[in-house]
Amino acid sequence: MNRFLLALATALVAFSATANAQDFDYGKFSHDELNSKSYKNDTSAHAVVLQEFGNARIVDADRITLDFDYHVRIKIFDNKGYDNGNIEIPIRVSSDSQEEITDIEGVTYYTNESGEAIKVALDKKNIFTVKDNQYWSTVKFAMPALHNGCVIEYKYHLRSPYFFKFKGWDFQSDIPKISSVYKVRIPAVYNYKISLRGTLPLLEGKQYEPGIERDCFSINGIKADCSAFLFAMKDIPAFKEEEYMTSKRNFLSAMNFELEDYTNLGTGAKMKMSKEWKDVDRELKTDESFGSQIKKKDYFKDKLVPVLAGKTTELEKAYAVFHFIQKNIKWNGFLSAYSSDGIRKAFEKHTGNTADINLALITALKSAGINVEPVMMSTRDHGQITKIYPVLSEFNYVVGRAEIGGKTYFLDATDPLLSFGLLPLRCLNDQGRVFSLDKPSYWVDFAPQSQSSTYALDFKLQENGKLKGTITTFLTGYDAYSKRKAIKEFNTVDEFVENFDEKMPKIKIHKFEIKNIDSLESALVEKYDVEIDVYDNMDAKKLSFNPFILTRISQNPFKLEERSYPVDRGMALTERVTLNIELPKNYKVEYSPKNVGLALPNNGGRFVTSFQTEGNNFNFSHIIQLNKAVYGPNEYPYLKELYNQIILSEKLDLIFTKS
Amino acid sequence: MKRFFSLILMAGSLLAKGQQNYDVSLISKQLMPYASSVVRLSEESIEVADAGSQTYRIKKAITILNRSGDDEAEILVWHDKTTSIKYIKGFVYDGGGKLVSKFNERSFEDAYAGNDFSLFEDARVMHFQPSVMDYPYTIEYEYETRNKQTLSFNSWVPANSTNMAVEKSSFTFTCKPGFLIRYKEINLPGAVQKGTNKAGMNTFTWQVSNVKATREEPYSPNADKFLAMVKTAPVEFKYGTLTGTFSNWNELGKWVYDRLLAGRQALAPSTVAQIKELTKGITDEKQRAKKIYEYMQDRTRYISIQIGIGGFQPFPAADVDRLNYGDCKALVNYTQALLAAADIKSYYCVVQAGGRKVDFDPSFASMNAGNHVILCLPFKNDTTWLECTSQKMPFGYLGDFTDDRTVLACTPEGGVLLHTPKYTADKNLQIRKATLKLDTTGEIIGDMITTYKGTQYENQESLTYESFSDQIKGIKKSYAINNLEVSKLKFDKNKDINPNLNEELQFIARDYASVTNNKLHFTPNLANRSRGLREIRNRATDVCIQRGYTDEDEIVYTLPADNYRQEKKPLLVIIEKPFGKYTASLILIGNKLTYKRRMQLLDGTYSKETYAELTRFFEDVADADNYSTILVKQ
Repeated sequence: MNRFLLALATALVAFSATANAQDFDYGKFSHDELNSKSYKNDTSAHAVVLQEFGNARIVDADRITLDFDYHVRIKIFDNKGYDNGNIEIPIRVSSDSQEEITDIEGVTYYTNESGEAIKVALDKKNIFTVKDNQYWSTVKFAMPALHNGCVIEYKYHLRSPYFFKFKGWDFQSDIPKISSVYKVRIPAVYNYKISLRGTLPLLEGKQYEPGIERDCFSINGIKADCSAFLFAMKDIPAFKEEEYMTSKRNFLSAMNFELEDYTNLGTGAKMKMSKEWKDVDRELKTDESFGSQIKKKDYFKDKLVPVLAGKTTELEKAYAVFHFIQKNIKWNGFLSAYSSDGIRKAFEKHTGNTADINLALITALKSAGINVEPVMMSTRDHGQITKIYPVLSEFNYVVGRAEIGGKTYFLDATDPLLSFGLLPLRCLNDQGRVFSLDKPSYWVDFAPQSQSSTYALDFKLQENGKLKGTITTFLTGYDAYSKRKAIKEFNTVDEFVENFDEKMPKIKIHKFEIKNIDSLESALVEKYDVEIDVYDNMDAKKLSFNPFILTRISQNPFKLEERSYPVDRGMALTERVTLNIELPKNYKVEYSPKNVGLALPNNGGRFVTSFQTEGNNFNFSHIIQLNKAVYGPNEYPYLKELYNQIILSEKLDLIFTKS
Repeated sequence: MKRFFSLILMAGSLLAKGQQNYDVSLISKQLMPYASSVVRLSEESIEVADAGSQTYRIKKAITILNRSGDDEAEILVWHDKTTSIKYIKGFVYDGGGKLVSKFNERSFEDAYAGNDFSLFEDARVMHFQPSVMDYPYTIEYEYETRNKQTLSFNSWVPANSTNMAVEKSSFTFTCKPGFLIRYKEINLPGAVQKGTNKAGMNTFTWQVSNVKATREEPYSPNADKFLAMVKTAPVEFKYGTLTGTFSNWNELGKWVYDRLLAGRQALAPSTVAQIKELTKGITDEKQRAKKIYEYMQDRTRYISIQIGIGGFQPFPAADVDRLNYGDCKALVNYTQALLAAADIKSYYCVVQAGGRKVDFDPSFASMNAGNHVILCLPFKNDTTWLECTSQKMPFGYLGDFTDDRTVLACTPEGGVLLHTPKYTADKNLQIRKATLKLDTTGEIIGDMITTYKGTQYENQESLTYESFSDQIKGIKKSYAINNLEVSKLKFDKNKDINPNLNEELQFIARDYASVTNNKLHFTPNLANRSRGLREIRNRATDVCIQRGYTDEDEIVYTLPADNYRQEKKPLLVIIEKPFGKYTASLILIGNKLTYKRRMQLLDGTYSKETYAELTRFFEDVADADNYSTILVKQ
């Protein structure tokens, strides 16, 4: 959830309490805090932030920098909370400019055996900086003398040249906070959009109203007033992650800043960053890492001649180009909505980030005359996108959207096993923005994706107690993708089948056939001739049999009493199993479970079983369907009960008798 | 334009150069099964030209046959303060052996390679993976690093991954005549070839060829039981300004004690006084040690700090006393100092820690052995061991991290190999008793009490430190009991040298049994079902069960009436094998349905042929565990 704070747009009060809001004193502690045994609002907490204060402002010293002070006091109840005493501050570095951390101070307070309060200061010698890679370093220190019940306090100063990306503020973290305050001062020459994510409210009142500081900023003879803000929350609960959810960034309460425009301090001209979509559209059109790349249609012209040879329909051409790009550029593991080295270089070096690959795909498709447009988006881990105004940093991915024969396809060539029109799970998130470069951009929903498995089992029960017959599976969508991926983990298909066989000691695979491993657009079909050990002998008069022999859900995936966030699986699911068994002539089914039919509200899904018998033959089939990609917390109990019913059905055996 | 031109020239000159033929069709068919990569040619060497430094060189060509071999194409060059990289270069060839591209040090990225949260660790790695889309392909690379010490040398392991075959691989150790080395050849078909090179240096060369790929096998023994390797160690060495000599564990232990440990245990007089005060009046040495251990646990935490002498030296006890944190070395050293203050003798012991038991090899002393440090208290007839990095472990308990293995004690008199205690199958217990009421709707209600001992003490131990709400979440994950609603959950720990953990659970679970036509269908094995074990055809290695255990479950269901009967044949399974025993039974008397299960797995090494039997055993156990009963009302 995103709330846009209109504060900046409204007339600001000339002076408010905001400007005076101060950090809390360093080095003070209270015996009450040291003696407290747990946090009353969350007795499960191993640690709690008592006070946290941040102060960020753009400063006009010898150069313009973003200065940020951080100060925190944390109560640690027990040693499960000790990790909070290991501090890591990531800083951006590069050859020409870098962030600097200075003035680190820290102190630990605890009560010793004789009840005295002891203070132990952090020794500067024990602060280390480690270079992680060419872009990032980490400043690290461990707070000294941690004891159960101790309070730690530390602060530091960060000076950053990257003031275009104003420091955001996370109100919520994995431990609760009693108070969190963020003070922000921004000169009027910079104009940021400020938004608040999450559901927790900011404190309101006179002292939290935005204010103005006159002439607080001056550089090159330009003077500017500053807007001053004070954002605060109290009694912030810990954020607890749940299974099957998308990025926690979608739900954490946090403040974000995006530069909208600024005044060029040399010329006094107002420079817009990304005020409106039409501005974004215009900028992207000529962006070296985006629009300019897609114009390089000619680059692929010659290269596509052999690829397109003999392809007549648009769809055939599109398939061919898609697989051509898929086979020629390997993903280097980096996600991006922008090309890093350009598509030409990516193609030549056979490696690139997601944008290098997909922009190359789009360009090549255009070159082949296909109607295709780039769609910028945010991956699941990266979170949802602000819709009311452009926040370009929220995009971290780009895919293609092709219109072929009246049908729409979303295309991603970053994984050689993804079929035409299938987006990887990481992309099944929110909406995308189509940038056609010659028309205004717009939001688009992704085509729903699905995973579907169908199993047909056809057996004859032998007199020796073994089932003999065939297992045939048809997999489409994401299930086919996952299986192809599993097969490719092995050196040969034979080794895959051998491994599959070895994993099921009861089943012997005599013969197999796997079709369409490399024909990504077709269903993956596996056929196995098998023999399954069921009974040591057939001497007993009654034999019980559980018809869920291949797929079985042993645990309910949904175990929570209460769910706070949506269950987001990304796609719909279908699993169908049909089992046919021919019993020996003199046997018949004496008892079979009742048929079950259960549906989720609003056509959200279903579980259905059906049993039929005729003479010494019987047929059992079941289907599990989850039709939605996302289920709200209010639908959680239904999902939970659906799985309960599936597990209940799986417990039922049927009984054969010898006549 | 100019740049473009020179590139072409370079490529031209490369092609002209005579090259090894890496055509994939030249690989012997016999090396193909289970191989995802094949080392075509590898030449590794270590050269000690002066006693204070070593040069490591590798030239390696490896063919990647398919996607799953891609990881082997990533080149990792480790370096740190004492290790510098001299050069890296390489080439990529296609399946036919034609040169496709080349790379050099500039293609590599340098990254921090330390632990998650580690202070002052300078381990770094240069890494690069050529991007090739068409399989198979071959990469050939070479690099050289220089390391300013001769205390430890890399081991040579020609096939260091599963699914990797080797056509030809060699290792040469070159040193100036006065520099003596010791070596250990493991699983090698041929012996060393000794010689002298043109420069008059001594050479030792080993080689292997046509090594087939191994595959991942469950219950496999340690790598040194089946992989070819050579370990080397110096006799006289230098490490910066330090020097030393060793040819056995006694001498190495002595050196560690004298040069790395001695003198790092001084404590502030106030701390010594505090320890004396703490242990005043406790006459029993072991009780004094326990008091001190708990004192140490209470006031320290583990933080990885790799400082000084390649991370071999602990930082001083006084620093730990002040900062209240340290790594394993520092915490052991600190505990040792605290114990000394109470006149208790202890040994600093280097160990190879981990779930796998790895022994220090009595026949080959090397600084490469071990990755962790623990403390040994040599009480008379009652040797006690301490893990000093945990704030929670009971005094004298090691768990499965450092149990049952040979370790090096570094004492003032020299190094001594000692063996840590073993937790045997009959002591690694999980004993469960449940009393439950089953009603006609299929709901069960009642309580379940489980006791964990030996290495199984740690099964649920971490849950005991969680908040109640997280404990409940954890319990729901541990037990596959559908619709589990916990009404009471209580843990009791007895933190003895042989600790036990008691878990008391009261719960309700609706729909535990499926009900149709007055029949109750359910699995009487409530909470301890094993899964089958995969088969391995043509198993290559012996079966090695690292640790045994014994589980006992007794579950008594009180039925809604006493006129039920079991529709299926009652469960009664008894299996007895050299490596394990299993019994399970289900008996109905009146309205009491009693399920009993006992499973014991016995540690030991068994022939590779035993594996099929082990698979069968686990399959039969899984079948019996999943036995579902049908109760019919008469």
